[in-house]
Amino acid sequence: MSKDEHDHRHCLELFEKLSEYLDNELDEVTCKGIEKHIKECVPCFVCLQTLKRTVDLCKQTENRMVPEDFSKKLKEVLQNMPKTPPAG
Amino acid sequence: MTAPKRANRKEIKDKDFELIRAINAGQFDRFPDLVKRYEQKLYNFSLRMCRDAADAEDTVQETFINVFRYLKNFRYETKFKNWLYRVAASTCIKKRRRSKFAPQRELSLDEFYPQSYTEVQHQVPDWAQMPLDKLLSNELLDKINEAIFTLPEKYRLVIVLRDIEGFSTAETAQILNLSDANVKVRLHRARLFLRDRLKGYFENE
Repeated sequence: MSKDEHDHRHCLELFEKLSEYLDNELDEVTCKGIEKHIKECVPCFVCLQTLKRTVDLCKQTENRMVPEDFSKKLKEVLQNMPKTPPAG
Repeated sequence: MTAPKRANRKEIKDKDFELIRAINAGQFDRFPDLVKRYEQKLYNFSLRMCRDAADAEDTVQETFINVFRYLKNFRYETKFKNWLYRVAASTCIKKRRRSKFAPQRELSLDEFYPQSYTEVQHQVPDWAQMPLDKLLSNELLDKINEAIFTLPEKYRLVIVLRDIEGFSTAETAQILNLSDANVKVRLHRARLFLRDRLKGYFENE
């Protein structure tokens, strides 16, 4: 692939839509167009794969436990709130 | 605080409605049950938004105080969880405005698009194709968290809600009072930003 080929407008169009493609938020025609393009364009395929892996990794981030002291304090604060919350 | 205006008119099914109706009918002693359901999730959402543990605790506390105050206004037109995150996101944004953070930076698509032939990758790197369980390490997870923290807040809010908390585009738009299109734009830029950080991490490993 030459430099000129990668500047092709299809690459840029695909680049803008990669997340929507990963999230299944595109119509069938656009999806098929993207699938056809990435079969022929290695850099765009790499771009898609690295973005997909980024999303997968993001989903793996771990949650921390709520500190017990804070949990206890929050309970006390809420218990001391007036028991007739305003309607508006 | 009122329920979002764009709420769906059709009947919403939500596991929290029964509890909320009970609380709004005067059973205030059941409010801790609601806190228990969401305390952990909100704490982690707030940590990702505030970074600092003390600020995250303040955010969770302010959010639940606001929920307690305004629960009577809840119209059952959206899932309670979405309404709760709307309150939490608004609390985070207000908190940031009161703090001395650096100004918000816009991320443009251009900065992530390869500008020259040398920047174009011609092979899927190992980190994008090896099995996820083989790739994961505490160091990598720390790196991802670090990269999320460096995202400008408006992008971080969207990626945390979409990719970590699991809200849909429409729900995220409702929570943040944005259009669906705007959520998609911010999400894509946030993901590209994180991808570049990960690329940098693996290339320098």
